[in-house]
Amino acid sequence: MIEFYKQPFTAQESLESLNPFVRKWFAGRYKEPTPPQRYSFKLIKEGKNLLITAPTGSGKTFSAFMAVISDLMNLAIAEKLEEKIYCIYISPLRALNNDIYRNLSVPLEEIYKDISIPVKRITAGIRTGDTPQRDRQRMLAHPPNILVTTPESLAILINSPKFAENMKNVKYMIVDELHELANNKRGVHLSLSVERLAEQIGHDFVRVGLGATMHPLEEGARFIAGYKDEKTERDCYIIDATWDKKMDYTAMSPVKDLINASDESIENAIYSTLDGIIKKNRTTLIFTNTRSGTERVVYNLMKRYNYGEDSIAAHHGSLSREVRLGVEELLKKGSLKAAVSSTSLELGIDIGTIDNVIQIGSPKSVSRAIQRIGRSGHSFNDVARGEVIVTNRDDLIECSVMLDAAKKRHLDSGTAPKNALDVLAQHIVGMSQVKKWGIDEAFLTIKKAYPYHSLERQDFIALLEYLSGMYVGLESRRVYAKIWYDEKEKAFGRRGRLTRLIYFLNIGTIPDEVAIDVMTMDNKWIGSIEEEFLSRLKPGDVFVLAGKPYRFESSKVMKAYVTPAPGQIPTIPPWYSEQLPLSYELALEIGDFRKRFSKALQDAGVGKRKLTAFKKRSKKVPEWRKILDGMPMDENAKNSTYTYFAEQLLYTGIVPNDKMILIEKTNDPENEKNLMIFHSLYGRRVNDALSRILGILVGDLYQADVAININDNGFVIATAEDIDIGKKEMEALMAELIDSDPERILKANVRRTEMMRRRFRYAAARSFMILRNYKGKKISVRKQQINSQFILKAAEEISPNFPIIKETYREIMEDVMDLPRTKEVIKGIRKGDIRYKAIETDVPSPFSHNIIAQGASDVIMMKDRRRHLRELHQLVMKKIGKKL
Amino acid sequence: MEIAKGIEIIDGLPVLYASGLNAIICTDLHLGYEGVMADKGTFLPKANLRNIKKTIKAAVEKTKADRIIVDGDIKNEFSKVHIEEFNEFHEFVTFLRNELKIKAITLIKGNHDNFIDQYKKPLGIEVFEQEALIGGFLFFHGEELPRSKDGTMLIMGHMHPAITLLNGLGIREKLKCFLVGEMRDRRKVIVVPAMNYFAEGVGVNTEDVSKMAPVFNKMLDVDKMEAYCVGEGETLDFGSIRELRDVGFK
Repeated sequence: MIEFYKQPFTAQESLESLNPFVRKWFAGRYKEPTPPQRYSFKLIKEGKNLLITAPTGSGKTFSAFMAVISDLMNLAIAEKLEEKIYCIYISPLRALNNDIYRNLSVPLEEIYKDISIPVKRITAGIRTGDTPQRDRQRMLAHPPNILVTTPESLAILINSPKFAENMKNVKYMIVDELHELANNKRGVHLSLSVERLAEQIGHDFVRVGLGATMHPLEEGARFIAGYKDEKTERDCYIIDATWDKKMDYTAMSPVKDLINASDESIENAIYSTLDGIIKKNRTTLIFTNTRSGTERVVYNLMKRYNYGEDSIAAHHGSLSREVRLGVEELLKKGSLKAAVSSTSLELGIDIGTIDNVIQIGSPKSVSRAIQRIGRSGHSFNDVARGEVIVTNRDDLIECSVMLDAAKKRHLDSGTAPKNALDVLAQHIVGMSQVKKWGIDEAFLTIKKAYPYHSLERQDFIALLEYLSGMYVGLESRRVYAKIWYDEKEKAFGRRGRLTRLIYFLNIGTIPDEVAIDVMTMDNKWIGSIEEEFLSRLKPGDVFVLAGKPYRFESSKVMKAYVTPAPGQIPTIPPWYSEQLPLSYELALEIGDFRKRFSKALQDAGVGKRKLTAFKKRSKKVPEWRKILDGMPMDENAKNSTYTYFAEQLLYTGIVPNDKMILIEKTNDPENEKNLMIFHSLYGRRVNDALSRILGILVGDLYQADVAININDNGFVIATAEDIDIGKKEMEALMAELIDSDPERILKANVRRTEMMRRRFRYAAARSFMILRNYKGKKISVRKQQINSQFILKAAEEISPNFPIIKETYREIMEDVMDLPRTKEVIKGIRKGDIRYKAIETDVPSPFSHNIIAQGASDVIMMKDRRRHLRELHQLVMKKIGKKL
Repeated sequence: MEIAKGIEIIDGLPVLYASGLNAIICTDLHLGYEGVMADKGTFLPKANLRNIKKTIKAAVEKTKADRIIVDGDIKNEFSKVHIEEFNEFHEFVTFLRNELKIKAITLIKGNHDNFIDQYKKPLGIEVFEQEALIGGFLFFHGEELPRSKDGTMLIMGHMHPAITLLNGLGIREKLKCFLVGEMRDRRKVIVVPAMNYFAEGVGVNTEDVSKMAPVFNKMLDVDKMEAYCVGEGETLDFGSIRELRDVGFK
């Protein structure tokens, strides 16, 4: 049963549950147990599974570790402590592991100071991808009692027969930063490792999940606890101490009028605002949303305001371990004025005291905003201070509403991908290496992991068939098969000597981050960039990495060679990694704000008159002013919000909101395209679905290919110039949407999208069909990059239900898109709860600018191929003919 | 579609037909490709041989040809014979003989074909080094310059020609094509597209072709060549490479 535990124990009760020596140490060091500790000490002692959510600095990790150390101390005193692993601690970040290991060493050292009798030492050890071979060997012979590791390293350890022997006694499994894992494939991967371990050692263990807040918390609890058997959930208590930290935050606009300011002046103002805040404080932590954004901010602050390398630094996952550790040390010493990070400093790494957190641009989720801002403040009891600097008009509204939602404790929801077949494929390969499995026993083990509880047996079997190479002829299986599988015997197991290495070298769930190493010409490693970014680089291009500009010279097998280009202006803008989507919940809140605020403006007559109202302060405060004053925004942000809405009202008379979809028809003469802009405010995952359904309907109607651009605040459907959708056609289109079966339409047509190809490639890599590393050799990007369209087509010739294809569909239909809510929106339109209005504009309206300029693009190929060639032919002939 | 006297493109297929020889002509099959790739860590589903068979069968049924000329790169690997290559090669030859009743199989050796010699006798295949004059046509693979000055028309493989276009939505696309033109010495020339299922092709209007085949631009100006794109069921003339470049496809 999943249950909230709402009544904390008293400090005394909590402390009494600890071993006397551990208690003494704790009491000598801390005033009293923190809120999460007042639940955990006793509950963990009682052997309960727990999900604890609390802000950074709340003693969250010690809330679990103290209980574990206490238990181990009892064992040690009873002379029962063996040289085995009793507790496994997992965090998603190596850097965090280093910290935890250090923090753990303190009590493990100090507790013994007051013990006069000889008692065996409790040991801790760290094992990550960074751990040197020598240390690994030592750990194999002398395992620590507490092992600190990462999800990927755990997956490797459970496959090492010798090491697995050391894990036989595991009693506790602590997963930290659960919110970073419980909603993605990396976490799904971990959930299987955990169940495999439990199966392997033949007994269960206490599971403790730690994290910042999540919503719904029950999902997080189910994720950490899993299932006891076919049907029964493991019990788990939820302890929610998220809101015990006080915070103060504001959305800031860098300029007075964000709408009419030039890009350049906005950029200048952002940096001068940053500089102002940095100078005012001792240490400032700045968050951006991408690694490249981090690089850009560091570069610009250094260049514009003469910060040196000793006063400002970048910290993100593409930097080398030495660089990262160096930055963390400087932060702890308090010698840095500012550190800039994408995500790596968001988690609980110890970074000393931060006075102020600045977030540049929307962090896309309320929980993330709270988590990041919560990194400031001297202690848990201090107020955390943070500013969100908005960068454009939609960002402005989004961040303001987001911070307002945080005040109201409204959170966005997330859930783990279910039955991901690509991740499962990796584990089946891993499992087959350990022993010979009966199919039923393996299936049950897998189903104990929460994300696989509803796995269909036939999907599992299809994976066994795929992995045993049944999709190629017998004579080729020697090369293709990764497992041995006997249908009649209903068993599978090891096959081939190379497979062990395939598992070790290709494990993990982030193939899109196939990193290209960036090297100097004399082979010194600087950092890494994404594959996609490399494909856009031409020799001579200058880009920023680790805060410094480099000139791209050449590339060779997974490496990019560069020379330093000090003082040069970057020629290549940051690369576009997939950004986090805006949630449905937050989108609705934005919609609600738009509705209330625009109505208040219209009531005050804005839209009919000129835009001077904001400056005039009459005695009676108008309603729209009250709305703004109730939001966590600075004066510039309020002014810009006013201008933004007023301009939209003047131009179109309509501000789209969650109950009113504005459909704007306009054209893009430069690119000879017709555009239909749908201002649809239901979050990215609904927009991902809705845009493609409409794209498919348009494409089908006109037998044309359609390009779409999807954004958090709407989407664009673009057609070639000759396809002109008038008012009447638009009505027909919407009528068709209302009557449509979205699921059927999407299933039948997702195959026609570019997205399908891209996602298929990733799924193929995760399923070990395309390896990054084989026979100990890294495989070049070029070799990997056989056009995924051909691979997909070839796989379809085997069967349209080939597991990797099935997983691609699943991922698109369930993880990328939100079909249930899309259906809700369509139902709302049908019932008239959600209205729509189609207008035509010569120039796109203010609210549509970002929808056109930003977002993720996709193409839907709706024409039949024969016709497609003919039309391409006509297009070319027309062009050539025109010229003649 | 007749290209010159006695030689035509079979509509919708990357295959030529020479009526005087009653032969179909194709190139760059790269048999065993998936097996070789699997050895390198990319486990492609098998599709190449199956689709090549389908294409050749359609070509033979249409033309009633009893001879096949492969203009090089029948297999994939340079340095050795991969077991998968041998298996597929053997299966392919058997298919030609038994199912399609092909009487003569001729291979112009390309850069990937160095093992073939040992099988020419047992399998009854006629093999030429890099080039051969057959029925007035000079077949050459294309990796090297053609040496012979004879022949009214040259037929080349090796290039995997395609053109790169931006479609109506401004999206990049590649289309496999034949290239038809004249050598500087006025002999006619056709470059045949690759049969390989996984080969996307080289965009001759966007990439530097002189790096891929020495015949460009020493003996042949690619700009003056006409691109015939292979679609489903038909093949269409897309104009010359120069014209494509002039209107912005470059």
